[in-house]
Amino acid sequence: MGSSVSHAAPPAPPPPVASPLGLIPPQPDAKESESKAEEKVDYLNLPCPVPYEEIQREALFSLKPELFEGMRFDFTKGLNQRFSLSHSVFMGSMELPQSAEPVKVPTAHYEFGANFIDPKFMLFGRVLTDGRLNARAKIDLTDNLILKINAQIQNGPYSQGTFNFDYKGKDYRTQFQMGNGAFYGFNYIQSVTPNLSLGTEAFWLGHQRKSGVGFAARYNTDKMVAAGQVASTGLVALSYVHKVSEKVSLASDFMYNAMSRDATASFGYDYMLRQCRLRGKIDSNGVVSAFLEERLNMGVNFILSAEIEHAKKDYKFGFGMTVGE
Amino acid sequence: MAASSNRPSLSLPGSGGRSKEGILARVSNSAIVQSGTRAASSAAFVAKKLARSTGNAAWIAGTAFLVLCVPLIIVMDREQQLNELEMQQASLLGTPSFASSSAPPATK
Repeated sequence: MGSSVSHAAPPAPPPPVASPLGLIPPQPDAKESESKAEEKVDYLNLPCPVPYEEIQREALFSLKPELFEGMRFDFTKGLNQRFSLSHSVFMGSMELPQSAEPVKVPTAHYEFGANFIDPKFMLFGRVLTDGRLNARAKIDLTDNLILKINAQIQNGPYSQGTFNFDYKGKDYRTQFQMGNGAFYGFNYIQSVTPNLSLGTEAFWLGHQRKSGVGFAARYNTDKMVAAGQVASTGLVALSYVHKVSEKVSLASDFMYNAMSRDATASFGYDYMLRQCRLRGKIDSNGVVSAFLEERLNMGVNFILSAEIEHAKKDYKFGFGMTVGE
Repeated sequence: MAASSNRPSLSLPGSGGRSKEGILARVSNSAIVQSGTRAASSAAFVAKKLARSTGNAAWIAGTAFLVLCVPLIIVMDREQQLNELEMQQASLLGTPSFASSSAPPATK
């Protein structure tokens, strides 16, 4: 409203100014102020950026499907509008990141989950037969302030819990994180132009006496998304997603770790068709993978997952079924 | 390589013992034939290596194609079939509505 008024007002003066010759000098000033006013209006109505941790979400969606080896079956049943239960069975081999070489261990587990979804209050719980428990809560304290709680409990010293406070401003977002092991994190992301947003983060790990800062930039138009992230831990991640059409998008990413001095780049496609979604990826380590989600019926999905790594002679194939939702 | 070094050592004692050589021995001892056999054996060696590495590359490329492209082709083909089917249905169901919409101008 205000923008249209202030925009409408400046164009009126120039014609009278332009007709008398003696009053030429003020003209550029008027134009300048007009353009300034235009810019100001523009810059005050910037869109809200994406959250800092989701800055590369499009690339992640396309390039990092949940590849698995073996068989999985997921079943979700809604008891009523807000409450639903999920059952999931997985049989196959899982890689344990032990020492230098990952070891494949045959595993089978059952996972039971309960979800409570309300627009202002969400609760998710998952229990696995091997004793792992994962609980998440998302509570809208006000319209702009969201509290997220995440807890992961398991045998051994890997249990963790975090509290996140997300504040969503008009053209910025900020988040404060607090976790066990005296972990504190803070990040802030701001829209700079309608397409470009810049962000920064800082974190402190009290028990390990480590701290770091990071910077991120994201440029998105309706055709492409480019994002880059640098952290003082030595991690550089760049990604680029190009939307060829509304069904097809091509993605590529580059990751460099200065600590371990390894760099990987990958390129993938993401086809979202009427009856299926197909994602394929090839990366610079020679890993070729594909993930197909086929919709057989309303609420019945068939999943095929394949991953081939010739260098390590590591072949992973999996199939699965998702029923419900 | 081993074959080319063996041949002279076998024929040399014969040539040393006898002053007169058979025609076959003379032919096989000649420089052209020796270099020819050497070239042939090294060519065979290279060809074998080349065949093996091409086979390996073809295997890798083929499996990568099987994983990356074959599903894509099948899925795209089905999508196109679905599109065609929908077009046909639209043209079958759409004709009456099209006729009714075109009817008013005809009555005018």
